[in-house]
Amino acid sequence: MRDRVREIMGQQNVKGLDYKILILFFAVLACVVLTFYLASKGETRVYTHLFYIPILLAGVWYHKKAIYVALFLSFFYILVTYPLTHLSVDVFERSAILVVVAYVIGLVSEKRAKVEEELRETKDYLNDIIKSSADAIVVVDKEGIVRSWNKAAEDYMGYTADEVIGTPNKKFFADPEEADKIMEIALREGELKNYRTTVLNKDKKPVHISMSAALLKDKKGLPVGTVRVSRDITKIAELEEKIKEKRDNLDLILESMADGVYIVSGDYKVEFMNRVLIDEFGDQVGGICYKVFHDREEPCPLCKNTEVMKEKTVRWEWHSRMKNKTYDLIETPLKNIDGSISKLTIFRDISKRKRIEEELKEAKDRYMVIFEHALTALCVIEEDKKISLANKEFEILSGYSREEIEDKKWTEFIAEEDLERVNKYHDERRKGGAPACCVFKFVSRNGEIKHVNTCIEPIPGAKRCIASLLDITELKMKEYDLRETCEKLAELDKMKKDFLNVAYHEMRSPLAPIVGYASLLERIEHTDKGRKYIRNIEKCARQLEKMINRMLELARIDSRKVERILDEFSIQGVVREVVKSLEPEAKVRKQKIAIVIPEIEIQADKLKITAIFTNLISNAIKYTHEGGRIDIMVVDRGKDIRVCVADTGIGIPGEHLPKIFERFYMVDTSLTRKSGSLGLGLSIVKEYVKLHGGRVWATSELEKGSKFFFTMPKRQK
Amino acid sequence: MQKKRILIVEDAAYMREMLVEMLEQEGKKYEVVGFAVDGKEAVEKYKELKPDLVTMDLVMEVMDGIQAIGEIKKHDSNALILVITALGAPEQRKAALEAGADEYLWKPFTVKNLSDVLEKLLRKREE
Repeated sequence: MRDRVREIMGQQNVKGLDYKILILFFAVLACVVLTFYLASKGETRVYTHLFYIPILLAGVWYHKKAIYVALFLSFFYILVTYPLTHLSVDVFERSAILVVVAYVIGLVSEKRAKVEEELRETKDYLNDIIKSSADAIVVVDKEGIVRSWNKAAEDYMGYTADEVIGTPNKKFFADPEEADKIMEIALREGELKNYRTTVLNKDKKPVHISMSAALLKDKKGLPVGTVRVSRDITKIAELEEKIKEKRDNLDLILESMADGVYIVSGDYKVEFMNRVLIDEFGDQVGGICYKVFHDREEPCPLCKNTEVMKEKTVRWEWHSRMKNKTYDLIETPLKNIDGSISKLTIFRDISKRKRIEEELKEAKDRYMVIFEHALTALCVIEEDKKISLANKEFEILSGYSREEIEDKKWTEFIAEEDLERVNKYHDERRKGGAPACCVFKFVSRNGEIKHVNTCIEPIPGAKRCIASLLDITELKMKEYDLRETCEKLAELDKMKKDFLNVAYHEMRSPLAPIVGYASLLERIEHTDKGRKYIRNIEKCARQLEKMINRMLELARIDSRKVERILDEFSIQGVVREVVKSLEPEAKVRKQKIAIVIPEIEIQADKLKITAIFTNLISNAIKYTHEGGRIDIMVVDRGKDIRVCVADTGIGIPGEHLPKIFERFYMVDTSLTRKSGSLGLGLSIVKEYVKLHGGRVWATSELEKGSKFFFTMPKRQK
Repeated sequence: MQKKRILIVEDAAYMREMLVEMLEQEGKKYEVVGFAVDGKEAVEKYKELKPDLVTMDLVMEVMDGIQAIGEIKKHDSNALILVITALGAPEQRKAALEAGADEYLWKPFTVKNLSDVLEKLLRKREE
């Protein structure tokens, strides 16, 4: 730019040469002509004073070159005046003066020209700066009137220089008071630096500027005005606003974090602490971190500040002795606006997690011990049915070492015929269904088969299962034995039944001729003795028949062949009939039988009810001393009746009471027992009562008597 | 009055003998016209002798009494059959009666039991 200006200036000089040299030429010519004229008139006194005019002009314009003009004019003067003066001292004197004057003038002129040139250059330079400055440069005089307005000012204010020069500057400020204030500061301080204010452009839109001002002084040093350099910082201000907003947001985020957060500068100064950390360590903002957090006089040996300052993110665990807590720290560099780096540290209290981790480890260890030393074989089956873990018992069960087991699939241990069933069970267990256990044949080393009972339990939240296996081979063997025994028993039972059925028939058959011939004999024998013998034969035969009948009946009950044939009849009538049939026997023993029975019709199998009463009453007669008493009482209880047959007999020992209704149970099995009973009567009573939906029981007191009770619904279902 | 002609079906000899004795006790009422020791023979004898009444045992070789009753009744639906057996279970009694037996006498029995049941049976028939 400057060069360009110079070039233009140079051209101007060339143009100037034309008229200057002409004037000079004519001035010199005039001097020459005048000298000739005066010399021609014989005038020796040529006025050399006139020569000063061209010399002066040459000196002013061409500086030292004026000496050539002076020399030319002197030489000419000497030449022209020679015929008149013949080289007088005077002539030489004048010529010399001319040359000297020219020289002096040239010298002075040259110096001045140089100063002027420099001055102009400086001025041009300044103008260049002002013109090309990106900052607005405005000159305002003491009265606040705008005196200068550069291009940049035009650009961001929208006013052209012509529009504003000569007008007051107040109108530009958003707050007009500010114009006076700036002037006041400038006058007082002599300058103004980075003063931020808001001005309004031609469209009345606010423009944020940063202004610096310097005082302009006159030659006497008195202030005349200010020159103001201002810069449009609207964008910077916006950016700053955004940065501030971001920083505020960041602070807000950090503040609301559940973790502790603090920011430390490169020189360990705490710049920020969030609420969590303040609650824990107190507000230490402004403090030196190693002092306030660690109670040290110099940076901690573990401190990662240096690393973070190299823009590295560091994560480490720190145990605070002051707090007896463990923290998980993430430290990361944070670039500040000024380019410096601070350290942002996120502080998480992991003491609890540490403790839980320790507890978890302990629990895991504990369960591993249980797993390992359990008395059942245990293994963990992965989703692909591979065994990932097995305990000592499993080793024993399978015969393989742990390493061998943990390389095998679970299915390899299952006998082929059970595989499908066990897989199905396994799958269903995984879905949460299926029975708890499954028995299968386990193939251990060398193909040995073991019967195991397994329980597969899915591990909650994982796809694997844990299987426990119990070797039940021995049990299984026993079961086989038992089953075999059972089968044998069932067979035996059938044989027994068959045998009994035949036996009943075969035992009864010989009774027929005994009874039959006795009845025939009775007809032909007439002596009393003979008749008595016959009667005894008959009686014994009948007793035998009764016993056989009872056995048959019980056998039939056992095979559920006994049915009820229902009838409606008077309970009183039945009892009277029974008593009547047994009375002769009671009479012999001088016993008294009393009946207290209301008139009730019941629905039941009459034959069986008769049998019940016959049994109970004949028992009472049998076990009661001579002259004893037998009471038969029936109580109507609405839906059912309760029957009691009480005697004053020998009684039944307490330990026998609960068993007397059991089959073949005899209170007395000694040789001194009362003969004529197989212990079947009461069990038939019990079965018949049960058949009618009733209940039978007895109470007794030794040597005082027994009471037999039974209940029976009045109506059968 | 004409003697009632009776066929005794019984595998045990002593029983046959006793039955004869008992029937003789009743004097002129009954006449034993024949014996059979099993069901098959009983059917044959019935056809041959055409007795008024048959005493029938149930447990016999070759053909049991129940079958024999069926056969006889098939041949002569008016045949009078008295079952005399040691089998006493109600279902056995029921089976015999269903096969066509007219009465049932349970062993052991007295001479009176026999004459009572016979009289009852014959009276029923006459009615």
